[in-house]
Amino acid sequence: MTGSWVGDAHVVVAAGKGGVGSSTAAAALALIAARDGASVLIVSVDGRPGLGPLLGGQPLDSVDRVLRTIGKGASQGVIRGRTIPPQMAFADYLQLKGINSVLRKAASAASLDAIAAATPGLEHLLVLGKIKELERERSADLIIVDAPPAGHAAAFLRSAAALREVVSNGPVRTQADEIAEMLADRTRCQAMLVTVAEETPVNELVELAYDIEEELGLALAPIVINGCWPDRGGLALTPTAAAKQQSVKLSAANRAALQASAEFGRVRLDIQRHQLARLDEKLALPRITLPRLTTARLGPAELEIIADALAVEPTPAAQR
Amino acid sequence: MSAELATMIASADLLVTCGPGGVGKTTTAAALGIAAAQAGRKVVVVTVDPARRLADALGIDVDAHMFDPHEVEGAGANGGSLWALMLDAETVFDRMITDRAGDAAKAQKILDNPVYRSIAGSLAGAQDYMAVERLHQLHTSGDYDLVIIDTPPSRDAIDLLEAPDRLVRFLGHPIYRALTLPSRSFAKVTNAGTSAFLWIVRKLAGPKLVEDTIEFFRSLSGMEQGLRQRAGEAAVLLRARTTSFILVSSPRAEAVSESLHLANAILDGGFRLDGVVVNLVHPMPAPLVGLDDVAPGPLADQVAYHRELTALAESERAEMTELLHLADGVAVAEVPLLEVDIHDVAGLTRLAAIIVS
Repeated sequence: MTGSWVGDAHVVVAAGKGGVGSSTAAAALALIAARDGASVLIVSVDGRPGLGPLLGGQPLDSVDRVLRTIGKGASQGVIRGRTIPPQMAFADYLQLKGINSVLRKAASAASLDAIAAATPGLEHLLVLGKIKELERERSADLIIVDAPPAGHAAAFLRSAAALREVVSNGPVRTQADEIAEMLADRTRCQAMLVTVAEETPVNELVELAYDIEEELGLALAPIVINGCWPDRGGLALTPTAAAKQQSVKLSAANRAALQASAEFGRVRLDIQRHQLARLDEKLALPRITLPRLTTARLGPAELEIIADALAVEPTPAAQR
Repeated sequence: MSAELATMIASADLLVTCGPGGVGKTTTAAALGIAAAQAGRKVVVVTVDPARRLADALGIDVDAHMFDPHEVEGAGANGGSLWALMLDAETVFDRMITDRAGDAAKAQKILDNPVYRSIAGSLAGAQDYMAVERLHQLHTSGDYDLVIIDTPPSRDAIDLLEAPDRLVRFLGHPIYRALTLPSRSFAKVTNAGTSAFLWIVRKLAGPKLVEDTIEFFRSLSGMEQGLRQRAGEAAVLLRARTTSFILVSSPRAEAVSESLHLANAILDGGFRLDGVVVNLVHPMPAPLVGLDDVAPGPLADQVAYHRELTALAESERAEMTELLHLADGVAVAEVPLLEVDIHDVAGLTRLAAIIVS
């Protein structure tokens, strides 16, 4: 499969600090897997509907729907998408456990709040449990989970482990055990952590990486660094020196305009290089950089560009 | 344009910053606090989950579980001062139980209950409710001229605003009511929904959890009245004339759309949206004339970068237009992408000058 690091994993959890583009990376991963003929299911945990249109389909809701197909015949790739509202996961779970429909009706929806209050992390656990079921059924070749933003991502992924501390037996315990087992099995599940090359997002990524790898044994895919400017050496010169080198005459206005933008670009590039070096120091993992696009709004066309960048082989830590 | 923000900072009693994640909301709250402290007011900034460097800048020890604010050194001027507090939902919840339980033994019993322990930090909306609770305490204490509360990031909801109502609803839930009836064992609870609830909890998680749950809900009874009253007061405070909401965003399309959604929720809820701060805006370079076909080389690098930056800056300005013209009388401030993460009081002071100048 393109993005060969995905390997045989059936589930990839995409996570990162709010605003760094982890949902975008999740969508791009869906696209490259489908280009290779895989059937892909993308699941938005906090119900972000926008992933559907980004992938060329309808806004996501709780119905499992095809968003897009790529190619034809036996090698056709399919991207499906859905959300998993906790209420629905709860009802499905009760049914799975053979709890009859009258009781289910009495207990579901309206009382989930109360039940969830009495059973910490239950909502996350129900959603993870549903994902585990989808994985077990092999509902798709690859299930991509768009996790809640960073702080909540850890809580989301840890919900099974946390519950195991409170509940010592019964089906909830079994459920928690099975989820923990799936998360810790690198042949089944990986986490794709996403950041931008800025101080705070890098710090939070490193923290999240250690949390989930050490506590949950969750395998880390290459680190994805979003929004990288191309490293243009020419920005290091003054516009006058650059123009002189190329024997071009600059008007005063052009010189001033270039001066200001090059100065800004230099500062941003310095930050980018510095933060990438810091990340290397703290986390020696392969990485993939995604380009900074010159638009504030991402659509399907931009996603293709990001997917191309995500499909390259990651740079191993040793080669940087 | 931001003279209005300066006026607001000088006169409001309570500022609430809200917005999507990753847009510099907490930093903005802190900078507004500095601006007010330097205008001579005694200000407290309450944050929820500050990034490490910002916490350092405010002298916050994120692991200390503090209940009371501490003074930020060197942040005030003209007789004003800045105080900071990182909200720890569990600490506030514990304090509330202790204050309201009536006697120490009863309080301890609740605090030791495993169900309480596990929900104190994680009960859906507990953090939001505790933010409202603490804000109310700080406001009514009279110790501060201005309280600034930085809300948890919100994707599409007004969790904080709804928190008091939600807690009241939770307390009024039939299951909760049935559980708090004075009966000796849950076998006597006749409400069908409630017995189903307990049966399911027991089947799913074992009898011990059921006992703890019943115990927990019973021990909360008697506190309900106080909690309802506080929720009501908080709802009034959040809609007071001297309370202002400030929406913080970035110019990226997703952030703008979440912010617009939030703005509607604020206005629909009868709250006062008085300011919009758009952070992380790329600068718009002056236009180039000609220079269309420069051969590859350093100048071509410079021209290419200039064009990319211009395209991005234009796209951002198009996205943020709607946000900057939300409603009459809403003060707006545009804050450029800064070169460094803010990590000290000097950085916050610089940012404050940009926001209110």
